Amino acid sequence: MSERPPSRGDLGIWGDLLLTSVFIAAVSLALFWMAAFTLWWQMHAWRTPEVLASTRFGRPEGGEGLSFSLLLPARHEQAVLDHTIQRLLQSRHTDFEIIVIVGHDDPETTEVACAAADRDPRVRVVVDTHEKKNKPKAMNTALPYCRGDVVGVFDAEDQVHPDLLAHVDHAFRATGADVVQGGVQLINFHSSWYSLRNCLEYFFWFRSRLHLHAQKGFIPLGGNTVFVRTEVLRDAKGWDPDCLAEDCDLGVRLSSAGKRVVVAYDSDMVTREETPGSLVSLLKQRTRWNQGFLQVYRKGDWKRLPGFGQRLLARYTLMTPFLQAASGVLIPLNAAIALFLDVPVGVAFVTFLPAVTALVTFVFEVVGLHDFGRQYGLRVRPVHYLKLVVGGPFYQVLLAGAAIRAVWREQRGRSDWELTSHVGAHLTEVTREDVPA
Amino acid sequence: MTSTLPATATAPAAAQTPPARTDRPGRRTRPPGLRSSRSDQVLCGLLLVAVVAVQGWNITHYPTLSDDEGTYLAQAWAVQQGEGLAHYTYWYDHPPLGWIQIALLTWVPSLVSPESMTVGPMRIAMLLVSAASAVLLYVLARRLALPRWAAGLAMALFGLSPLSVVLQREIFLDNLAVMWTLLAFCLAASPSRHLWHHFGAGIAAATAVLTKETMLVVLPALLVTMWRHSHRDTRKFALTGAITACALIGVSYPLFALLKGELLPGGGHVSLWEGITYQMSRPGSGFVLDEGSGSYGVLQSWLYYDRVLPLGGLAGAVLLLAVWRWSVTARALAGPALAVGILALVALRPSGYLPAMYIIQALPFLALVLAGAAASVAHAVLRRGRREGERRYVTGIRVVAAALLAAAAAVYVVPRWYDGDRTAVTADANAPYRGAARWLATEVEDRADQRVLVDDALWLDLVHAGYEPGPGAIWFYKADLDPAVTETMPRGWRDLDYVVASPTVRRDAVDLPTVRDALEHSRTVASFGEGPARIEIRQVTADAAVGASRGDAR
Repeated sequence: MSERPPSRGDLGIWGDLLLTSVFIAAVSLALFWMAAFTLWWQMHAWRTPEVLASTRFGRPEGGEGLSFSLLLPARHEQAVLDHTIQRLLQSRHTDFEIIVIVGHDDPETTEVACAAADRDPRVRVVVDTHEKKNKPKAMNTALPYCRGDVVGVFDAEDQVHPDLLAHVDHAFRATGADVVQGGVQLINFHSSWYSLRNCLEYFFWFRSRLHLHAQKGFIPLGGNTVFVRTEVLRDAKGWDPDCLAEDCDLGVRLSSAGKRVVVAYDSDMVTREETPGSLVSLLKQRTRWNQGFLQVYRKGDWKRLPGFGQRLLARYTLMTPFLQAASGVLIPLNAAIALFLDVPVGVAFVTFLPAVTALVTFVFEVVGLHDFGRQYGLRVRPVHYLKLVVGGPFYQVLLAGAAIRAVWREQRGRSDWELTSHVGAHLTEVTREDVPA
Repeated sequence: MTSTLPATATAPAAAQTPPARTDRPGRRTRPPGLRSSRSDQVLCGLLLVAVVAVQGWNITHYPTLSDDEGTYLAQAWAVQQGEGLAHYTYWYDHPPLGWIQIALLTWVPSLVSPESMTVGPMRIAMLLVSAASAVLLYVLARRLALPRWAAGLAMALFGLSPLSVVLQREIFLDNLAVMWTLLAFCLAASPSRHLWHHFGAGIAAATAVLTKETMLVVLPALLVTMWRHSHRDTRKFALTGAITACALIGVSYPLFALLKGELLPGGGHVSLWEGITYQMSRPGSGFVLDEGSGSYGVLQSWLYYDRVLPLGGLAGAVLLLAVWRWSVTARALAGPALAVGILALVALRPSGYLPAMYIIQALPFLALVLAGAAASVAHAVLRRGRREGERRYVTGIRVVAAALLAAAAAVYVVPRWYDGDRTAVTADANAPYRGAARWLATEVEDRADQRVLVDDALWLDLVHAGYEPGPGAIWFYKADLDPAVTETMPRGWRDLDYVVASPTVRRDAVDLPTVRDALEHSRTVASFGEGPARIEIRQVTADAAVGASRGDAR
């Protein structure tokens, strides 16, 4: 035995190759399942025509039964606030009040809000006096003043459909739900390459994926066009003032408490918004959401979900930004290894699985863009499809950057609202950052 | 019959009308499936027993072992042995998925008893394939809205026609491809119109094509079926998904070649490109209706076993396409009718190559359209123009007419099929092969050192008897066509010990000099069977040039 020790080199290479193969195969399979599940969920609404039909609002019938308190937090938004209030007042529902929440340090917005309140008794103004301000604190301030059966949340620049409240009213009564989440849709897909992808993200999220979450009984809620029964909201003690994704957190806490959430999406009834004005603000917005998701994950309310599958879905959903970041880097790397490294053909095939799933996702995104154009009567040109495909990898890089940034900030304990640092400078983007997807 | 919608699963969709909000969004009502229908289960089960009984009884003895069966099974054996995709160099003649499946199907039996891994016994594996295809055909017929009796008729036509019995017993890739194609059609016609069912249909279709590449021509018919069975609101996702899935799976074959560095021609290796070029440039077998052409002979060989299914099915397809406008059944069967049409047109190419197993991929569609045409005729006779309060005698005439038609069809078909199927369950066409295999396994000494030219059907028998696979037991045409084999025979026929002159070997020897020489320089030491079907075992002898073999060569 000792005469001729095994040649280290030979064995080493063989061992390395085997190890590499096993490692690559394992990583590939993990990535594949991740991408496959994400794809499966993303396509939820289009699984069958019946599912698609069930994602819409039912036609309101049998009159009205509920009263609404609509919260409208506004900060340095004197430019758009009045228009939003006027549009909300055009709502065809007969029983609602609008509570505009303004900061004590923001006289311009307060002036606009008070003027509106003077003109119409349905508008009231609540002043938030917190030293450090953020959206959940503002809304918690207004909660005791709500007189309606249902609290609804909108943002100051939202375009709300006049029939929305009637449909939500009907949805509450027809389903006995505790929460109704309406659709939110970014519309300006033609503005830039990233806004195109951003719009499509919203489309797939609100059009499709959220319905799956509602069905499974675990749902991270959106930041606006969300309606909660007032007593349920008060029992839950409102929003978490320290969470960067207070809307997601509320959804997680309510679903963990077994509350029924219903999602409805109608292209003519969605709340229309615009994408962040610059790549940097998109990055910051995404960082905040990711950090918020991380906080919600660490709070652990989702552990109280009754079903194992629900907890798994919660764990996966809250980790998604980080998994997405990892897979965005790993999938191309993996494919490159398969092509250029001398691994067995079988292993090479396995390494292509995630890329295949990514390709299928790409194709469905293209079809989704077509459908988006159809639904909203927007003209989608060939160049937009091209942008969608070419922009895909770059958007992945952006998402990965935001995910890494979020982890970094959370590690260093920086959980302030990033937007406070540039209050007054980027008015419009401040408010736009408040919509999670 | 005025609506433009087929009376199929496109029953009024919930999506057309705004639904009342159900308790849980996403819940849907599913149309009653076959799994819940007792009558369907009983009918399908009884027919399945009949099909398996007729196809299974005497399966090893009839029909005659085919060279191609031997090829695929031997390659499946090579896969099982871990020798790659073939025991000779795999040269991209067909995509390998077909015999990989055969390897899986025969895996357990070959572990239990390795000697049984020969063509005759392993035909039993094909019974599973036939059974699966027959059941899938029934399901498809029901999903295409055929009445229960017509679905049963389609299954019986498909499984019991003497032509089907003969061809489906054999280890042909086409039979496996048919199974996958039927699965694809079933998924495409899924009553729930589920996105992932359509996606699955794309995967199954790609699997079918990778099993036998000729299935490619049927894909447009699959697309038509999918189009008709998808809903307007979800169609673009369903169809794009299916096409993407099909394309991605299909691309795996060139990808496989690329990974092996064999995509394009190059020095010292085979390539996918050359494989495809070879298949596309195979010498044509003439116009199928031109007496004396090879294709005509192939057609006659099909019609020898059965005329009802090929000709009746073709007529049925023409009838359905002609009454498209008026018949709901015709529109529901648009996919299968189109498949028959495409396959017929491809067969009618004047210069094309028409292999004997070509008709296998048409069998399920022929059966479907024939059954559909029967249903259409039955409907026309029994129900067309019928009103409330029709006079009793008119109804009586209708019933009598239908009964007469059915009886006439039965009188024509049953005796012919009875004869054909009786032959299939009683005849023994393979005694010469078994005799030759036994002789070579017992009478030859030193088998490990003997070199024998043998046709593919007997090759595995020799391997199990101790001959060395490759250089010892040699696929006869490799001696001339595979440089790797020719290299081991520097002295040509003189390096051989035996030639097993089966009909295939004698037929092909004309174009294979080494085989021809070996036949000429050998003498018969044992002979099994009579006439053109006989199998001679000829020992190669350097000095005894026996002229007799020359005359037999053709």
